[in-house]
Amino acid sequence: MKALYKKEIMQLLNSPVGFTVPIVFAIFLGYLFTKDVFVIGSASMRSFFSVAPWLLFILIPALSMRSISEEKKTNTIEVLLTLPLSESQIVFAKCASIFSIILITLGLTLSIPLVFGLLAKLYLPEILVGYVGLLLLSLSYLSFSLFVSSKINNQIAAFAVSVIVLFLVTTLSSDFLSSILPKSAQDILLFASPILHLENFSKGIIDMRSAIYFIIFTLVFYLLTVKELSKRI
Amino acid sequence: MIELRKVTKKFGIKEAISSLSFTINEGEIVGFVGPNGAGKTTTMRLITGLIKPSEGSVRLFDQDPITSRLSILPRLGYLPENNPLPLDMKVQEYLEYISSVKKEMSLDKIVRELNIDDVYEKRMEQLSRGYRQRVGLAAALCGKPDILLLDEPTSGLDPIEQDVIKDLIQKLAKKRSVIFSTHILSEIEDVATRVLIINRGTLLFDGPKPKGKGSVELLFKKLIKKS
Repeated sequence: MKALYKKEIMQLLNSPVGFTVPIVFAIFLGYLFTKDVFVIGSASMRSFFSVAPWLLFILIPALSMRSISEEKKTNTIEVLLTLPLSESQIVFAKCASIFSIILITLGLTLSIPLVFGLLAKLYLPEILVGYVGLLLLSLSYLSFSLFVSSKINNQIAAFAVSVIVLFLVTTLSSDFLSSILPKSAQDILLFASPILHLENFSKGIIDMRSAIYFIIFTLVFYLLTVKELSKRI
Repeated sequence: MIELRKVTKKFGIKEAISSLSFTINEGEIVGFVGPNGAGKTTTMRLITGLIKPSEGSVRLFDQDPITSRLSILPRLGYLPENNPLPLDMKVQEYLEYISSVKKEMSLDKIVRELNIDDVYEKRMEQLSRGYRQRVGLAAALCGKPDILLLDEPTSGLDPIEQDVIKDLIQKLAKKRSVIFSTHILSEIEDVATRVLIINRGTLLFDGPKPKGKGSVELLFKKLIKKS
């Protein structure tokens, strides 16, 4: 499994998407955060954590779109599935390699609180918990995108489907939906919204219900991807 | 080693394989021959457990290739049809990855045996078809498999490269069973010890290679005409 992880990382870093998208993500996120922070005049990273999910639902499908779909399209999946690796090991190695790139990407954004910390006093635990929330959200988006990649043989189509679905999921808690839906529907959608679950983390609160929500979200799509790979027609 | 018992494979309403039965024993070099679309690749995929039979059973080392895949796959080397390779990788990176997964300790020996030292540092996309085929063979050989399944290993190669691959198959067969599919009849004459002829999913012939030059071709044409 370690060998597959290493191979996946190498392929990601050798591809234009693997090294350009994370850099563009970090720069763009930094810009979106800093352009407003001096207007608000508050020494808090909360706006950073509220903007990040809107970029993650593009970054993560971009990194994971080819992971399985390309293997199916080029038929290298036949070689992969005849190696002595379980389907679960294959999905885990693929997940772990993309998650490593996400870690590097979020690591790049650490320059923001570092610079910001020189100008104002920041509350460190709040930032750390916020990052934990972003990592949990990233895992959820990753397992979903990988599942889509396992279902669709075309990487561009896999990317589009993941982005559209994750966009809809991200907007579940938006004001627009709240204003047009009945109260009961609102409550269900709000509970299903990852943004709402991330909110507590960005305030520096570790909410176990939200952590469990992200873990279940991740596990469900992880297991569905394993099931998809184990399927024999 | 390999046993197919009354195996039928349907894709929708189309029957790709129809009640196919044969057994392959240790040390055999089996040429699996048939025209395009005869069911050769489907049979190979059934043996590797990539697809499941609609009816009948496939057994490898007395085990089911799907439910016991993790105990069977270390003993199986497979070169799929058209030899799919990750073109963005270097030969060295790819073979080191495969050998690491298959726990092959003597990759250098395989690289030397297949004469791929010259292209070891090159990217897969820079290789000729012949060299790509050798890389695919090297990957299949990693882990010292007891069975080597080669799906059209000489397809798309020029006559010189075809001879190189045929010689390699003969060399490799000394230590293991080899099943290779082809629609080039001369390959069977040169390499195989046993012949399976298939057409439209039905096995037409299963027996030792007929003796004499051109005898396989004669038999093949006769059987195909009849079917």
